[in-house]
Amino acid sequence: MNEQYLSVFVDESKEYIQTLNDSLLKLEKDYQDAEAINETFRALHTLKGMSGTMGFETMSKLCHKMEQLLDKIRSKKIKLDSKMLDQLFIGVDVLDKMIASIVKNGTDHLPDFDVMVFAQNFEVLSSLVEIVEPTKEEREPAEQAEITESVQKVITEAEKEGYSAYQLIITLSEGTQFKAVRMYMVFKAIEEHGGQILSSKPSVEDIEQEKFGRDVELIIVIREDKESLRNMIMSISEIERVTIKDISQKEVQVQTAAKVESEEKKIFEGVKTEASKEKRRLTQTVRVDIDKLDNLMNLMGELVISRSRIGDTLRKYSIKEVDESLSQLNRISLDLQNVVMKIRMVPIAFVFNRFPRMVRDLAKQLGKEINFVVEGEDTELDRTFVEDIGEPLLHMLRNAIDHGIESKEERLAKGKPPIGTVVLSARHEGNNVVIEVRDDGRGIDRSAVLKKAIEKGLVTEAQAETLPDEKVYEFLFMPGFSTKTETTELSGRGVGLDVVKNVVESLNGTVSIESAKNKGTTITMRLPLTLAIIQALLVKVNNFVYAIPIANIDSTLSISKQQIQKIQDRQVSVIRGEIIPIVRLWDILELKHEGDDTIYNTVIVRVGNRKYGLTVDTLIGQEDIVIKSLGKIFSDVRIFSGGAILGDGSIALILDVANIA
Amino acid sequence: MQNESEFEVFVFSVGEQEMAFDVDHVSMVIERPEITPVPKSKSTVLGVMNLRGRIVPVINLAMSLGVEFGKSDDEKVVVVNWEEMEVSFLVNKVKGVMRCNESEVEKLQELAKFGEKCKGIIKKGNELIVYLNIGKILGELITVSEYSAEGVW
Repeated sequence: MNEQYLSVFVDESKEYIQTLNDSLLKLEKDYQDAEAINETFRALHTLKGMSGTMGFETMSKLCHKMEQLLDKIRSKKIKLDSKMLDQLFIGVDVLDKMIASIVKNGTDHLPDFDVMVFAQNFEVLSSLVEIVEPTKEEREPAEQAEITESVQKVITEAEKEGYSAYQLIITLSEGTQFKAVRMYMVFKAIEEHGGQILSSKPSVEDIEQEKFGRDVELIIVIREDKESLRNMIMSISEIERVTIKDISQKEVQVQTAAKVESEEKKIFEGVKTEASKEKRRLTQTVRVDIDKLDNLMNLMGELVISRSRIGDTLRKYSIKEVDESLSQLNRISLDLQNVVMKIRMVPIAFVFNRFPRMVRDLAKQLGKEINFVVEGEDTELDRTFVEDIGEPLLHMLRNAIDHGIESKEERLAKGKPPIGTVVLSARHEGNNVVIEVRDDGRGIDRSAVLKKAIEKGLVTEAQAETLPDEKVYEFLFMPGFSTKTETTELSGRGVGLDVVKNVVESLNGTVSIESAKNKGTTITMRLPLTLAIIQALLVKVNNFVYAIPIANIDSTLSISKQQIQKIQDRQVSVIRGEIIPIVRLWDILELKHEGDDTIYNTVIVRVGNRKYGLTVDTLIGQEDIVIKSLGKIFSDVRIFSGGAILGDGSIALILDVANIA
Repeated sequence: MQNESEFEVFVFSVGEQEMAFDVDHVSMVIERPEITPVPKSKSTVLGVMNLRGRIVPVINLAMSLGVEFGKSDDEKVVVVNWEEMEVSFLVNKVKGVMRCNESEVEKLQELAKFGEKCKGIIKKGNELIVYLNIGKILGELITVSEYSAEGVW
């Protein structure tokens, strides 16, 4: 389990436990305190979700049981009593103990307490007291009373315009994941049909933050009749049921202006207190504009440079007293730099998390069974990428599921396991983050791609014969190119892969396809780790400093001129029994090389399983550097992957060893 | 009252010739810093500099325009922001911001030497200032993406 997540989880859980205690105390004073009930419910719900995500099943189950009880209380199916409150308090204490145990032992199991047995208490409480579920008619009067006078006024006005007013109680299906989205779709549907939402319970803010159970109560005015309204809402997926009540005929009293005003004031005050409460709870994380982080980075860079300048100046006078504070300053600024860097890196799980659900839905829709595997969610990458790669990944996954994986019958006929596998993986590889979508489906039909390419006049028939596979697959990245003869609703309109290519290229990355007939397809995205700190070996050629990523370095050694031999126009040297090509870095950089040493400092670099040696003037040493892009103007210069600013303010260009030789 | 046809330019000289950019794009002027050459880049690019922690390309404006670069002790670098890109140009001398009127700009045909890189000539008394088009100068430097350059066959 990721350390970083765990500490966030623990911190937040502690806050929620505090909230639970606070609200239960409020309830103890007033059993009817609806806000406290809601608050308790929300905190439990969030805790349940958080602990579930973190894999603390027992904790999640306990929260669930408590939440169920609260739900019944909230919907007034059960009356809260002191016995229940006691149990709830004990429950909160148990949760607290679990958190302590997680911190100490990394598990939510309590050695001398059976949580599952305890959790049954809540179930008993929820079921025993559940007398008769009040019928709709019984419930409605109570809810009607909550239509505020100002809302009523709007209703009367609207009725004159030919609108009807309805009270809707919308219930989302159990397990709905994007509740806020569903509700948003409801809101949108109502608005698109010329309707207006007058009030919502819970509030729109709470809905946006998914702070509600499954029920939402709305009061709307709309021109549609009851039946078409129902159809319209039920057409949105994951809505279990909707109860619609016409409230137009209700006698509406004429309000005095003063009364309405006071009512509105009350609402306004309500909003204010809600907002201040919100503020208190959201202190643990802050959303920061990425530009501010960039700015922070740059300032950091400047700080480092000024620091070394001060250091240089002071060294001239060799003042003992300053030495110590100077080295402390060095240390602090280095730590600070690391912290700033880390702020920008996020685990790729932020992007990956949303896919399992999408894959499940899509597979269901297409009637395919898919085993979706996610690997390497902990791989960190720069924040800026996280926002951009979601879309291309979505397209890649859709392609894999829709085009790649065959139907069950087809798979069985081919002697493959009936369940298709789609793997989404991420890993660091040298200076890149490699993200792959792999399926064990039918693979790409080379001849179908070529047929289409010939049709489109991209290639002649004669050329097509000899075209290597990777060139053939490249056609798939072209706008408007799709091999699937019939497009489905989801993919196959030929807009997928060119989007992938565009996005990846805009991030300075590459994308490639590998495929084998009936074995499957792998699409690989390689993204540079811009702004990542890497370890690099600094070397000097002609007084210019260059950086070679440590990840690419095999070894360093010095070889004499005599050790370099010429085999078929290539300079090679035998090093520990291996024949290794030797490249003079100054030749690559097209620099006139001064001095003719007979011994070369050589860096042996590795690219994939290929090795070669680079000769340099001096090896300076290893350093952590921050990769910065050189920008569009240098996009044609393949031998550098970026630049880095060194401690003294000078720039070292970073060699991209894959493109040198 | 600001006249619609009035605009401000940033004037500097390259060799003996006075030239101008739209002032809106100029973000700062600094003393010629240490420039790190980037091997294998285009000949009109001098290299990169460290501008407050950012790596910014320095372009040899004289070479880009095909004019002689004069010698001077106080060469300056003009930093320009163009379409979210930060680049800089090495110039000989910086004169400053000047207000001019549309009527003072002449779009001469015979300036074929600069082609589209020049938007016109600003006439101020006896002075003739080449009014440059930053977009066109940079456009030449930005390689079209590899994919479209190669095309597919």
